[in-house]
Amino acid sequence: MSEIWLIIKREYWTRIRKKTFIIMSFLGPLLIVGFIGLTAVLSKGKKNSYEIIVFDEAKLFDGVLRNNEKYHLKWAPEDKNYNQVQEIFKSDENLDLLLYLPSNLIKTNSMTAKCLYKAIPSSSAQKHLTSIINEAIELYRVNQNQINIETYKAIKTRVNLDIIDVEDPENKNIQRKGIIGFVFAFFIYFFILMYSVQVMRGVIEEKTSRIIEIIISSVSSFKLMTAKIIGVGLVGFTQFFIWIFVITVTSVLLLNNLVPDIYSSTLQSQNPLTVNTGESAQIIEFLLYKIHWPSMFIFFGVYFIGGYLLYAGMMAAIGAAVDEETDTQQFLIPLTIPMIFALSMISSVIDDPSSSLSFWLSEIPFTSPVIMLVRIAMGIGPSSVEAWEIILSVGLLFITFILTTWLSSKIYANGILSFGKKASYKELFKWLKS
Amino acid sequence: MPVRNIIQIEDIHKSYGNYKALQNININVKKGSIFGLLGPNGAGKTSLIRIINQIITPDKGTIKINGNILEKKHVYQIGYLPEERGLYKKMKVGEQAIYLAQLKGLNKIEAKKRVRFWLEKFNIENWWNKKIEDLSKGMAQKIQFITTVLHEPELLILDEPFSGLDPTNSELIKKEILDLKKAKSTIILSTHNMNSVEEICDEAAIINKSKKILDGKIDELKNEYSTNRWKICYVGNKMSFTNAVWGGWKLESHHSLENGTHIAEIELLEQLKISDFIKGIVSHIEIQEVARKTPSMQDVFLNVVSNE
Repeated sequence: MSEIWLIIKREYWTRIRKKTFIIMSFLGPLLIVGFIGLTAVLSKGKKNSYEIIVFDEAKLFDGVLRNNEKYHLKWAPEDKNYNQVQEIFKSDENLDLLLYLPSNLIKTNSMTAKCLYKAIPSSSAQKHLTSIINEAIELYRVNQNQINIETYKAIKTRVNLDIIDVEDPENKNIQRKGIIGFVFAFFIYFFILMYSVQVMRGVIEEKTSRIIEIIISSVSSFKLMTAKIIGVGLVGFTQFFIWIFVITVTSVLLLNNLVPDIYSSTLQSQNPLTVNTGESAQIIEFLLYKIHWPSMFIFFGVYFIGGYLLYAGMMAAIGAAVDEETDTQQFLIPLTIPMIFALSMISSVIDDPSSSLSFWLSEIPFTSPVIMLVRIAMGIGPSSVEAWEIILSVGLLFITFILTTWLSSKIYANGILSFGKKASYKELFKWLKS
Repeated sequence: MPVRNIIQIEDIHKSYGNYKALQNININVKKGSIFGLLGPNGAGKTSLIRIINQIITPDKGTIKINGNILEKKHVYQIGYLPEERGLYKKMKVGEQAIYLAQLKGLNKIEAKKRVRFWLEKFNIENWWNKKIEDLSKGMAQKIQFITTVLHEPELLILDEPFSGLDPTNSELIKKEILDLKKAKSTIILSTHNMNSVEEICDEAAIINKSKKILDGKIDELKNEYSTNRWKICYVGNKMSFTNAVWGGWKLESHHSLENGTHIAEIELLEQLKISDFIKGIVSHIEIQEVARKTPSMQDVFLNVVSNE
């Protein structure tokens, strides 16, 4: 036992003291927060007004089309035809868009207006233009049919649909939570891969430096492999906690600067229902109160341990089977494909977290660490993932880890003493049987 | 009765797939001796050493250390220098030596004390904070040797200890091995270069093609396999020398030095005794030296292999 502890200590301390670890621990989260902050700043500075020339063929919409400062509408001279207006649009640098409302627009309920652009308008600008045209046509028809405008307004409805879990009414709009799940899934993928590859590198280092034979004359190869996996895993946890700390501190500072008023009022009131001002406030309210962070972090920990142990054992076997890192590719690819597949399936899982696809992907141990975090983020309950599914998934993950580690240790024990050649799959199979 | 043998190897067999690495190996190593494990490359020496070090397990047979079946706890009593040397390149000398000593059961304080002692002994105490990758190959070999003996093992197993060493370090290590023997350690030296160790070995076993073909005390082996060969240095006429005795011997080689001395190597056949041969030649030439040729371990090996 004491020698396992010694090896764990060495594996841990030599990595913790590395410059790359220290840089990654602080630079990584700073980059993440920085990118988010940068996105926020950049989206603030994006195009904030459009000069739009309107060619209203039937001359029906003057004064009806809603005009505002951001989308500034200007009517084309009445004596010009469509082609001439296009020429005006092209020659006037101030104009951003040409909105063409053909005369047949009001004939049926599904006609098409045209918007000509120089630089493509943002999707929100497109949405806005569509909505004001629809609105104008509706108003035109209200007048045509001599309906009282107040009556029309009373009839006109705009409904938002809240998707609510019948068992847990608080758990609504779970798709939005899936985005948080996506972030966690990405991180667990990143951490599992990064640290299990470090195990592989460590094994290759011991093999190429030839110290391996000295070490295994003191401890068994199985103990060495286990201790190495544990040591590197602890480094992963250390890095994870540093990341959480740095991300929390920097994002609190950053949020405070970007949206000082809303943020502090949310924090002070402690009651999410009283605060309902603006988009950022909603996002912050969502982040602070709608996501169950403790279960996210606990399951991140559980699935990181399980997923890391699953992959690290196999990576150790790969490291033992080769003589240098460049030879690892052929073994690495089949190992990483399930994880990448899992990442690519996240959007389907968010779309329907309780589908059978979501179920199986979150039970199969090679994809479960990534997928289950998405489902957990969307709420534990009948709408996303049931508790028994999590228990089964964690159980399967740990049973598989024990199995693969046992198999990996056989390849490892044979591989570390085989110098000077790259093992083939055939050889690995032979070692498995030994 | 005190146990005389530190290691008893009994009927060891080991195969890798269809390849037989060791067959029916029986060897005893006496306490306090220097034991040579000799044989050409690929004979099975390293497999046997790995079995003693419990790195691999034999298919059949047992190994006893001090009369007890070899177990995991015995690794603390064994020091091992593998043929393929290596240390952690990025780790510092002091830290690394302490780590390896701790793996062999020393506590940290004791390990530190002993590393300091050995570094001072080799006059390299200022290497403590150097990384292995910054040391020359010869320097690293010294550290490697130190890490092997730090825990003062009863049994030291050195696989090709002199390969890759320059003459100075080679002598240094040879001296250390003899000192360790004086300090009552037992040393097993494994090498394919049989002549390099015969002067310091007390006993040896020769392994060839997975089987032990010979073992015993070095002197006895040499005597047993010594042929009736003699070296004769003389001054005089070569024809007179070769014609002096008629039959019963064979001239193996002959060469002449510039100062007029001739060196002849002869093999006596059948019943001809060296005294009779000398009687025959003594009146024709002037004899300067007569010496029996003792075979080297290499000769013994070649002799046994050619007789098989």
